[in-house]
Amino acid sequence: MLPRFFLLSLVLCCAALVRVALGPIGTDEGVRLVLGVPSADIAQLRVLSVVSAALVGAALGLSGLALQVLMRNPLASPFVLGISSGAGFGVACVLVLGALGAFSSRIFFGEAIGAILGAACTLGIVARLGRATDGQDTTALLLAGVILGSMFSAGTMLLEHLVPHGLRGDLLSWMSGRLPEIPNRAQLATLAVVTVLAWIVLARASKALDVSMLSDDEARSSGVALHALRRKLFWTGGVLAGVAVAYAGPIGFVGLVGPHIARRLLGPHHGLLVPGSALAGALLLVSADAVRQVLDLGSGRLPVGVVTALAGGPAFLWLLRRGSGR
Amino acid sequence: MTDPLLDAKQLSMRYGATVALHPIDLSVGVGEFVAIVGVNGCGKSTLLRALAEVLPAAGKSGVVRLHGASHSSRDAARLRAFVPQRPDLAAEFTARAVVGLGRFASAPSTDAVERALHAVGLQGKGDRLVTTLSGGERQRVALARALAQLDGAERPILLLDEPFAGIDPAEVARVVTALRAVAARGAVLCSLHDPGLARCIAHRALVLREGRVVADGPAANILVPTVLTKAYGHAMEESKSWIVPSLLPEPAPFR
Repeated sequence: MLPRFFLLSLVLCCAALVRVALGPIGTDEGVRLVLGVPSADIAQLRVLSVVSAALVGAALGLSGLALQVLMRNPLASPFVLGISSGAGFGVACVLVLGALGAFSSRIFFGEAIGAILGAACTLGIVARLGRATDGQDTTALLLAGVILGSMFSAGTMLLEHLVPHGLRGDLLSWMSGRLPEIPNRAQLATLAVVTVLAWIVLARASKALDVSMLSDDEARSSGVALHALRRKLFWTGGVLAGVAVAYAGPIGFVGLVGPHIARRLLGPHHGLLVPGSALAGALLLVSADAVRQVLDLGSGRLPVGVVTALAGGPAFLWLLRRGSGR
Repeated sequence: MTDPLLDAKQLSMRYGATVALHPIDLSVGVGEFVAIVGVNGCGKSTLLRALAEVLPAAGKSGVVRLHGASHSSRDAARLRAFVPQRPDLAAEFTARAVVGLGRFASAPSTDAVERALHAVGLQGKGDRLVTTLSGGERQRVALARALAQLDGAERPILLLDEPFAGIDPAEVARVVTALRAVAARGAVLCSLHDPGLARCIAHRALVLREGRVVADGPAANILVPTVLTKAYGHAMEESKSWIVPSLLPEPAPFR
């Protein structure tokens, strides 16, 4: 499986180079950048964009893997727990409160804080509902996530009507899932630190994750502290998704499809699946970002979330058709 | 009997208002092969799950000691293994990989995995995906995982809930041989629906009814029509018309 892992890494590098070559200043100029013709600012911006897409994709891929293992359901994804909708609701709240003058521009915390708070609230509620079932009933967690997601989406739509027209565009753009055109280095660093830490947490638990694929009774009697492992998965998956959504908005299907690509290429062992899911998530988002650079519909570039949804929707249906990948 | 390998005190379990297991004291010593029999819902699985310490905390009480002491879950996993009534797998692992998962709490050992696969007659199917195996073969994979888990344990304790479900008679004989080898060094407790098979393979029988032990003693004395008629609430009789697998008299050289 190791050659396939390196192949995945190589394909990601190629996709990153292609993305660096593509952009609004024209392909020829971009290619010259790849070939070493310097234009420092543009090169830096594009490299940052690639890093940004790769990090968000890796975070979503790892989050999807954590949640799929947690729920023993290969169709689970960060969205199933309602985290994206909760984060969206958080952003809408911040925009409404800002528009109503609840705080001045100097102490305005920003969309990112709102998204993280929204995601954290959703996680807290789902976690509390999960505890009511001793944390063992993944169906209850799943349903709680779906219902909360629907409620927060409805809340966001409600709030959308309360924000001024100028801000409504921002909210809609964020809700479509968009990678910042000019990445914020501090936010990017935060995303990188969280992703790497989560990667380490999951990698250290990879053997226990393998055993947790057995029935609960078998896993426990094999020596796995299942409750602690699931708590770890819940918070790792949730925080990763929350941070990624806070940074780039709700980008669909990367968290679902990334781990599946990794499973197909690398097999079911989490020793390879953990880094594989991060790489596959990164590859998906960098590729989607590259695709949107060449799709010009006359009204600016598409949000990357639209590209992933258009590609990921059929992939989801395909997974559903082949029996949840099992 | 020397110090018990497995010692349970006042083990009980309730699910809400329903008492699944009334307080039970149980000691099992080295060399014992214990069959647990009784009607559906009498508490056989709950007792085994309680002994394996996999029941949810809510509603559970009592203490289980292995080798005379309480252990962390990881340490306990090196001393006893459990195969539930419905083993499950949520990933596309090969049979060999699943058996290897049994070594989670111990050092990885390909020899242990191969020995376990051989003991259950799956040595030629180690590379098959478990999802492509038959129900009986999957059951044997689960048993092999438990055997691999205890490979190297000086006095292993094996807890099995309906271990022969879906396994054909010839393979039952093979598996019984492997289990007897474990019992010779440690102890085996298994629930069985078939009291006839239980009498063939076990030294000791435990009869449960409505969450209580109603009979406990040598299998040959306990698994008789008079006791079983009371336990099952249905007339039972000796019969020579059942065909049972011939069992090998001596344990196979499984370590």
